[in-house]
Order: sequence, then C-alpha cells, then structure tokens
Amino acid sequence: MSESPYWNPRHETMPRDQIEALQTRKLKNLLAWTEARVPWHLNRFRQAGVSADSIRSLKDLQRIPMMTRDEWMEAQLQEPPYGPLLAAPPETAVRYHLTSGTTGSIPLQVLDSMKDWEWIAEMWCYGFWGFGVRPPDTVFFAFSYGTFVGFWGAHYAAEKIGCMVLPGGNMTTEARVKQILGMKATVVCSTPTYALRMAQEAKTMGVDLPGGHVKRLILSGEPAGSIPATKRLIEEEWGARAADTAGMTEVGTIMMFECEKQPGGTHIIEDNYIEEVVDPETGAPLPYGEMGERLITSFGRGFIPVLRYRTRDLVVRVPANHCSCGRTFDIYEGGIRGRVDDMKLVRGTNVYPRAIEAIVREFKEIDEFRIRLYTEDGRQDEIEILVEIPDGDGAKADRILKALAKALSEAHEGLRFGVKRAENGSLPRFELKARRVQDDRIVIGTAGERRGS
Amino acid sequence: MQNTMAVELNEGELALVETYRTLIKLLRERDEDLAPYQRRNALKAVAALWQVMNGLDLDPEQIYDIGA
Repeated sequence: MSESPYWNPRHETMPRDQIEALQTRKLKNLLAWTEARVPWHLNRFRQAGVSADSIRSLKDLQRIPMMTRDEWMEAQLQEPPYGPLLAAPPETAVRYHLTSGTTGSIPLQVLDSMKDWEWIAEMWCYGFWGFGVRPPDTVFFAFSYGTFVGFWGAHYAAEKIGCMVLPGGNMTTEARVKQILGMKATVVCSTPTYALRMAQEAKTMGVDLPGGHVKRLILSGEPAGSIPATKRLIEEEWGARAADTAGMTEVGTIMMFECEKQPGGTHIIEDNYIEEVVDPETGAPLPYGEMGERLITSFGRGFIPVLRYRTRDLVVRVPANHCSCGRTFDIYEGGIRGRVDDMKLVRGTNVYPRAIEAIVREFKEIDEFRIRLYTEDGRQDEIEILVEIPDGDGAKADRILKALAKALSEAHEGLRFGVKRAENGSLPRFELKARRVQDDRIVIGTAGERRGS
Repeated sequence: MQNTMAVELNEGELALVETYRTLIKLLRERDEDLAPYQRRNALKAVAALWQVMNGLDLDPEQIYDIGA
C-alpha cells in the first residue's frame, strides 16, 4: 500500500455533505456530554432553548450561545482556578497550561487528560503529515517548553510520526543554530519572528543556512506565517519551505495547517472542529470570501468543552477546491488575517500591524522594527515606525526610510507615517509572540477614535 | 462492521477496534488485578487508540472515568 499524503485519508477527502453529517453527529454528542457534566453550560443552553436532543443539522449550531473569553475569565475568577467549566475531575488531568494570549490581563488556565493530550498531538499530526514531514526527519523545536502550550503538542506529534525530536528549550539563539546544523535537522518549528531571528544569527556566525539540511519550517504563534512577504523572506533565508499553522490554548492545539501545495492559506481540520465565520459586530454568519471573526467548536478536549467560542481572529474562508491537494477541508485564505481587537484607527484610517509588517518585510535591509502610536500635542494621533538597518550607510538608509514611508502611506489611504531609523540592537527581539506595537496615545480627546486598542 | 457513516471497516481496522474494546473492558472490570506498570501502560495505549476510534467514526465515549 503506497503511503497516503493524508494523515486521515477518509476524513480529509470526505465529500462536504458527509463532513457536515459527521459534524452534526459530533455536535450532538458534545452537547449531550456538556449538558450532563457542566451545569454552567447547561444553564446557558437552557436560557437559549437549545439541547442535544434538538440538534438536527448544522443550522442548529446557531442556536447555541456564543462563548467569550471574558465569560471564561469571569468564571475562573468566580471559582478559581479553573472556573465551573470542567467536565471531568481535575485529578484526571496530566497537563496544565496557560494561555499566552496578547489580550486580557489574567491568564486562562486549562487542563488535559491523557486522552486529550494524545488528541492535541493528533491535530498536529494532520499538519506535520500534510506538509510532508516523515520519518526519518529530524525536527528541531525552537521553543521554551514552559506553561505556554505552544509547540508542546507538535513535539509529541513529531514523536508519534516517528521523527527524531530535538527539543531546543533553554538555549541561546547561537546554540540553537549550531544544533540545527550540527544535528542536520531537516525540519524546524518556531514562530515566524524567531525563524528570522535565527537566520540573522546564522549570518552573524558566518553560517550558510540555505546550504544546510533544513527543508521545512513549521511556523506558528503569529499570523506572519501567512504574510507572503514575511514567508518569502523566511523561505529565502533558510533555503527551505515554510508552512503556516494556527492554534490556541483554549483548545490546546492547532485548528488549521498549510499543506504541501501551499495554497496561500490553511486547511481547517474539519473532522475535529466546526469553524464559523461571523460578522464581529452582529454575529451574523458570513459567506465564503468575506472577512469575519472565526468561532470555534472543538470536538477534542472533553475536559473543558468549547462551543462557539469567539476567537477574535479575523479570517476569510474559501472552499477546499482553492487548493489542489485533494483535501475537502475548507481553507482560511491568508491564514489568520489579524485580530478583531488588533486594528488601530489612526486619523480615520484602519491600520493593521500585520499589514505594516508585510510592507516592512519587503525591505530586506531592515532587521527589526517597532510600531509606535502617540498623540501629538495632545490632539492628533500619529504613527511612527522605528526600524533597524544594520548595514546601511547614511545615504542608503535615508533612501530606505523614504521608500518605506511612501509604501506605507500608499497602502493606507495616504496616511502619513513617520519612519525613523533606530540604533542597531536597540529594539526588542522576541522568541515567542512578538509585541511590536507600542500604543502611547491619549484615549480621550484625540482626533482618532480608539477602537479595540 | 460499519462505522457511524455506514463505511465498512477493513480487517486491520477491526483488529484495532477489538484491541481498544478489550483494553477498555480490562481497565473498567479488572483494574485491581493490574500492577502499576500494567495499568498505566494500558491507559497510555487506550489514550492513543481512542484517537483511532475517533478517526474511524465510532464515536468513542469519554474515558475520564478510567483515568485517561
């Protein structure tokens, strides 16, 4: 029997009507489990007039109340540490993790049993296998192995597939680069930002990274893995192909992955999740091709049921046939496009940090950057981009600064961007989720109304 | 034997189903007969095989009650 390009061939190529039948059945089961085990959810279902018995088709999904992170947090505060959300006794758990989310002030805490933890790795297997990772690949994880769930599941997925795993926690960037080369790693897992950081370090060390053994990079943790310019830069600097994935602590693992065909988006793992795209303001479902907020219902971790959870991620869903891989799992074109609460309004213009990054990354001479928003004279919102240009002399750097300011302005309805050069090494570097936006604006009395910032 | 999607399972798949069910039965009914290394390794195996049941559309029930 020839080796399948799919981790679960039957599910990944299932016709749409069968996927929906599978999802409806699993939804009914999930509701029944949740009703029986989590009174907190049961009360919400009753108020909405929905029960497991009343689920007939996927249309019934919309009768289930959406769940927000604020509700989750509030529940945790009421009954610390996990809130009244557990469907199994805590002593059954074998793992504890926290969210590393960039919004919210307190961490979200989750538990997993042995079976849940296997499932978490299983979801990563869809992504690894789908991007061509096979034994005897050697997989290096540039990951700190802490309470942030990050690449934990990916680590176990690589083991499950039969790869050699190199756990690269507690190492300097130089040591990581050395081990990747020394152990002839063929796959590297990291955030997009850190993939660039390692490439930069390799240059400093005088190492020929593209000439090495790495053939694939699995990116996660930031949306940049699907920003074409960033991805192109990563692929060039590593001489390898890069695949985007996206996950969240709330479900413990990834929900989407990019396959070997690299269709410019990520396949949704539809046999284990229901993903909806809705208008972030009204909650109304949106059709294919329209950008909206993704809601997630997970059939995996039974310990903490997640139903219609508002992720605040912005996505554009397109049919599976936008990719030639043969999967019938739909695609989020461009991966996660940004956050509902990530957008900045600057003098009436919508600004997405992710969009700025895409433009900055077109300038290969720029090493690191920072976006700063501030209020000029207490009245007007301003945006400036600080950039490090390590190898540029004065004249060359000036040309780059001008060209970048022009490109940014053109992409933002003529908005004026102050682009300044920062001293080399002065801007912060990030291993995990990059925080490149510094918003120092005065909230009240500014010309630009603040939205979600 | 068919799964919930009316797909006939092949022999290899049936063997996995049988193994899973045997282990579940063992852990539910003969748990006290097992030494720590036997019980914990059986639980690990069940946790992994649950993924197979799930992927085969056999709607495995939650198994927190046996410690997995």
